[in-house]
Amino acid sequence: MIKYHPTDRLIEQFSAGVLNPALSVIISTHIDICPRCQNVTHDAEQFLAEQVMQTQVKSLTPELDQQFDQMLDQILNAEAPTNIVEFPYNEVLHLNGKTFKLPATLARQYKRIGDWSRVPGKMLKAPINLGSNECINLIYMDEGSRVPEHTHKGNEITLVINGVFNDEQDEYRDGDFVMLDQHHQHSPETRDEDCLTLATLDAPLHFTSGLARLLNPFSSLFFK
Amino acid sequence: MHATQQKNSARLMTTRPSVTNTSESAEHLAYLLAQVADKQCRAAFSEFFRYFAPRLQAYATNKFGNQQLAADLVQETMTNVWQKAHLFKADRGSASTWVFTIARNTGFDYLRKNKHRLNDLSADELWPVLAEVNDSLDDSSNNSSLDDKLLMAQITSYYKQLPETQRVVIEKIYIEGLSQQEVSTSFNVPLGTVKSRTRLALQKLREMIDHD
Repeated sequence: MIKYHPTDRLIEQFSAGVLNPALSVIISTHIDICPRCQNVTHDAEQFLAEQVMQTQVKSLTPELDQQFDQMLDQILNAEAPTNIVEFPYNEVLHLNGKTFKLPATLARQYKRIGDWSRVPGKMLKAPINLGSNECINLIYMDEGSRVPEHTHKGNEITLVINGVFNDEQDEYRDGDFVMLDQHHQHSPETRDEDCLTLATLDAPLHFTSGLARLLNPFSSLFFK
Repeated sequence: MHATQQKNSARLMTTRPSVTNTSESAEHLAYLLAQVADKQCRAAFSEFFRYFAPRLQAYATNKFGNQQLAADLVQETMTNVWQKAHLFKADRGSASTWVFTIARNTGFDYLRKNKHRLNDLSADELWPVLAEVNDSLDDSSNNSSLDDKLLMAQITSYYKQLPETQRVVIEKIYIEGLSQQEVSTSFNVPLGTVKSRTRLALQKLREMIDHD
């Protein structure tokens, strides 16, 4: 049972196509896994469509009317496309000797998944290259991994794709969408199970406790 | 903690009034779209276009602040409706919602393409509204029939590139099932010519497939 969801407002913005790519990808991936949010998305699209259709159409100016006539004519007389555009799709991810099944959004973007690299603390990360300079990574935490306690200079959004991780507040499982801002302080860890997540950060982590503070100059080595 | 999230909140739209006073009923719009999908009915599409074009134009002008870009969005969206009406599934939502999602995708790509970046995330990757593969995502066991469909579509496009004389021969033999002798008789062409046209056509198809 998924406990943490994006807000309905976020899903509506996603459905309107106005969120940035990284956040759109995370929300879209959550929706793949979450029947509740599939319903919310369905309703949001319907609501947005109704808003567009409700627009009071004033009587068209002669210019616009003529433009539409021409457009209709062009559409009806255009050559039908003969080439079939194939959409790439690969839902299998091999990692650390295991096989994960990627949700549809990621399966459609498998070519965007970059090389895996090690992160201190039994973790691996691979960037997703969205062409937008945003920082979005698949992060794999092996069992018994721990990220030192930290806050965020910006927002950190984590979606659990498979497995379970904990922080001081709760336990997060498949599909949970966890959004933290700079006021939150936490130290995520895995225990007996490993965990594959998708995460975006808009500023580096800021480590808050003890010796881990020495990591701050290098915190971009972690996830950003 | 987690102030920006909610746990199992109530459904989104329950408090919003639904819209019923649009000038065209949802059933009628879905009917028009079915006419387009089934029969490429131009009259149905024209009526559909007349209803949606001004509304999409207003939506896109509002979004882009630019009349011309808005007109491009209307044209691209409605071209997709005309050519891909068969992808509309009435049991998954209204015709208006379907058109909206195509327009939304087009707009999403316009905003990104404007930045001249080639490798940008495209709307199809988030919302595969126009992907022929939509159905197969629900059931991966359909993949082989999908492949067949893609293959058939591909072969059809190759086949159209053959010279007329070869294409006719292939059509008679492989689609209508005539023998080479029957083709020779019915077209009053020597058997040797039918054979060489068949061979050349198959060879050409082979090359087109290999080079793809």
